[in-house]
Amino acid sequence: MTGPGRPASGRRRGALVLGIWLVLLAAGAVIIARTHFSADLSAFLPASPDARQRLLIEQLQSGIASRTMFIGIEGGKDAAQRADVSRRVAAEMRRSGLFDQVQNGDTSDWKDTGTWVFDHRYRLSPAVTPERFTAAGLRDAIVDTLSMLGTPAGNALKPLLERDPTGETQAIAEGLIPASSPRSEEGVWVSRSAPRALILATTHAAGSDLDAVALAIARVRTAFDAALPPGADATVAPRLEMSGAPVFSVQSRDQIKAEATQLAIVGAIVVGALLMLAFASPRALLIAVLPVASGVVAGTATVSLVFGGVHGLTMGFGGTLIGETVDYAIYYLIQARGAALPGTGWMRWRDIHWPTVRLGLLTSVCGFAALVFSGFPGLAQLGVFSLAGLIAAALVARHVLPVLAPDGATGMGMRRQMALLAGVLVRGLPRLRWVFSGLGVAALALVLWQGAHLWRADLGAMSPVPKSAQLLDAELRGDIGASDGGTLVVIHGSDVQSTLRSTEAAGERLSALVDKGELAGFETVSRVLPSEAAQAARIASLPDAATLRARLAEATQGLPLPSARLEPFIAEAQLARTQPMIEREDLQGGPLGALVGALMFERPGGGWSTLISLHPGAGFDAGRLAAALDGLADVQVVNVGDELSGLYSRYLHEAFVQVMLGALAVLLLLAAWLRSGRRLLAVCQPLVVAVLLVLGGMAALQMALGILHLVGLLLIVAVGSNYALFFDQLRETGRADEDTLASLMLANLTTVISFGLIAISDIPALSSIGRVVAPGALLALLLSAAFARTPVAAAAPAR
Amino acid sequence: MISGSKIRLDGCRRACCAVLLAGGLFGFGPAWAFGQGDLMQLLAQQKNGEARFTEQRFVHGLEGPLDSSGVLSFAAPDKLTRRTLSPRSETMSVDGNTLVLTRGGRTRTTTLDSIPELQGMVEAMRGTLSGDASGLQRYFRSTVSGSADGWSMQLEPIDARLAAQVRSMRLSGRGGLVLGVEMEFVGGDRSVMTISPGAAAGSADSTPGPGAAARTPSTRSAP
Repeated sequence: MTGPGRPASGRRRGALVLGIWLVLLAAGAVIIARTHFSADLSAFLPASPDARQRLLIEQLQSGIASRTMFIGIEGGKDAAQRADVSRRVAAEMRRSGLFDQVQNGDTSDWKDTGTWVFDHRYRLSPAVTPERFTAAGLRDAIVDTLSMLGTPAGNALKPLLERDPTGETQAIAEGLIPASSPRSEEGVWVSRSAPRALILATTHAAGSDLDAVALAIARVRTAFDAALPPGADATVAPRLEMSGAPVFSVQSRDQIKAEATQLAIVGAIVVGALLMLAFASPRALLIAVLPVASGVVAGTATVSLVFGGVHGLTMGFGGTLIGETVDYAIYYLIQARGAALPGTGWMRWRDIHWPTVRLGLLTSVCGFAALVFSGFPGLAQLGVFSLAGLIAAALVARHVLPVLAPDGATGMGMRRQMALLAGVLVRGLPRLRWVFSGLGVAALALVLWQGAHLWRADLGAMSPVPKSAQLLDAELRGDIGASDGGTLVVIHGSDVQSTLRSTEAAGERLSALVDKGELAGFETVSRVLPSEAAQAARIASLPDAATLRARLAEATQGLPLPSARLEPFIAEAQLARTQPMIEREDLQGGPLGALVGALMFERPGGGWSTLISLHPGAGFDAGRLAAALDGLADVQVVNVGDELSGLYSRYLHEAFVQVMLGALAVLLLLAAWLRSGRRLLAVCQPLVVAVLLVLGGMAALQMALGILHLVGLLLIVAVGSNYALFFDQLRETGRADEDTLASLMLANLTTVISFGLIAISDIPALSSIGRVVAPGALLALLLSAAFARTPVAAAAPAR
Repeated sequence: MISGSKIRLDGCRRACCAVLLAGGLFGFGPAWAFGQGDLMQLLAQQKNGEARFTEQRFVHGLEGPLDSSGVLSFAAPDKLTRRTLSPRSETMSVDGNTLVLTRGGRTRTTTLDSIPELQGMVEAMRGTLSGDASGLQRYFRSTVSGSADGWSMQLEPIDARLAAQVRSMRLSGRGGLVLGVEMEFVGGDRSVMTISPGAAAGSADSTPGPGAAARTPSTRSAP
């Protein structure tokens, strides 16, 4: 420690501090410059759930769901025009190569796939068994096929009759009929409820690669604009509608960007104006901003180092969240003033006020730590950002500001008026103590009465996707008949083949349910990618040429199709035996590859999984489904809604524990510092009442509370304890000069403004925190004044 | 969520069409009058019906006709079932927009309006059977000839997709009864269905007139 009278070493030490600070800032800037910024929606999904939930989250984060877009072409002249636009847009999308699959109901692009399926029919058809190739089995199959002839479809089937008389192609195709296909009109998919053509697309880029996804979305827009009839009247032209996770991700990135910029600008203007009012000095304003700026740099760099990337949300709102670090500068600039010996004001501040600031910092750290452990990656980043930012800002206030402004700020600005107002409040509020206590009791009663009902928000409440977009999404999904993943069967395996075998076993059980009418249908990967075992068994069912020829002669007796015409069938059945196994890689790139990609994937931790998506139908019963699949190893039934809400309640429960631990940590810190039960009680009292009043207010307003509100409550305690501690300090020292009161008021205003700005954000995760902390912080200050004991109340404004 | 798997082969559509149209669902229910008002009134009264059918199809390239028989039923406004009993058991039913297909012990469900060709025929038929002529006229041009004692109605598809498969249909009957349906397909194949209304139990509550006239299968025309 440098003492007075040693200016040279003081100056050297100052230069050293500034040097270290600047080097650290530069290092932070370098880290930030190399940082990858993301903005995907997964920040709003919880991390590290149990095995079943982890799979679900993996799917939501990086599975097909995160790449699937729903496109609507609505309005315009008529269905023919919409169909034309749909075809042009889809063609352009396919040409772009930015999409793994583009489906609009137009089957003309399926010719190659149809040929491939036909060529591999004896490996793919579930009907191929040894019994089917006995004389009786062959006869049944041929009669079945003949029953299709003499119908409109006969034209398509007849050319294949000699090659596929047992109708294996039919058997495969029947399996691929989706139970909930979209309506088809003018040859393309259309909505049942609105004048709208539909396109379903999967981006090639991963859902988290937002730049690439944005590019793909932009390509859809240009394709749509180009597809509109030239010179069409804009008022009757069709409109383009898009939804799905990729669209939402890009939209929310843009939203976060726009909101963050807006918040930063408004916040800077308001806080800047407030500081100008308080100090009437641009230099003081500049110095006051240094701790915040350093905090932002430190926070961003730390998040980048810890998480390997920074979410846009963190960048956007971290600054606002640590807006309270302006307080450090405010306290310093005001409280270091009035030193008897010039250049020593900072030492007086260090001795009298810094310990309180430091304690306030530690309690805030306890509060923001709850964010780190909230289980949501986005919020965890905000937590780490805030911790690093707060600590860096406090260190800058402690060490850098004394070098730059040893005696605080000179200007007086409007602080006298602020202090007057604060004095009035401080003297007047204690009279309202019993009113506040009464309100607190009423709030407690209300909160206890509402009980668990108060905490009824769900995971959806955290989604940054606006309600209107969610509605459009639900409509488009409904139109396309896309399963919303209500119930899934999930199969795990250590390798591709064992996973496929388990999938086939599950599929057989499900087929039985379908035949009984208890399930409308299901989609499984093994229909286009059978296990090698299943393929081998099917091929082994095929008799050799001579045997088959003999059996066919017997089978076709009396039928209008003589066996002599079936030589091509015999030849192709022999050919099938020499075909190589169908492997997963063979399907890549084609439309069937998209199917395989959707229903089968490699697990990040090793091993493979397949999904069977169900079309429940009217006779569906979850209990019977579970019973049907009972006893199959590696097969699980996942009800997505149940799992997500189960996940959320678990997180809510965990958050309660974490928040309680955080509050306990604050309490222990305060107790260790104050070393007095009486003082501890006096500090805690306003905080408890503030929390109760905020909770009661939200209960009275019928707000549905969730994890983030809970986190907000802890932040009230963390931030509010600063004010309570200052009043405790005032009480103990008996000094309540107008500058201290003014600094307190100013600090509180900046905090309330920062969180108030967050409160009006359109991003639910943030607005929930803001709506709790903004009124809570204000209440904490007022209540700290109200519950302050006589020494402060007696203190008259100095001078 | 797993919408990426929504896949359709042309074959799916054909399989459905084939089974549904094999024999043509048109062939049952008493329903035709020459005055539009009378006809609609008569048809609207018909809440349900059941009938036996026999069918012969003449397919180029096959040595001889294909025979089948079974039961048809209708329940207003939109439930239709065709149950083939011979030569192979097979059921196809449409209820609203849901199509259920049962063949060889396997059941498949899908949506009717995803197969527009089929939907056109089903809607026209439901329109006819439930007394809503607009349903029929939306998909077919119709020409009526004959008299109440022996009429026939020629139908030609309006929709190009359907017209690419079905050349024409001819319904024939007597009074309020449809007794025969002939379909001619593009490519020259042909199917002839003969209907015996009221043959199945508990159905003939609203079929006044000479219902028993057509009990015996008739009109075995040569290819």
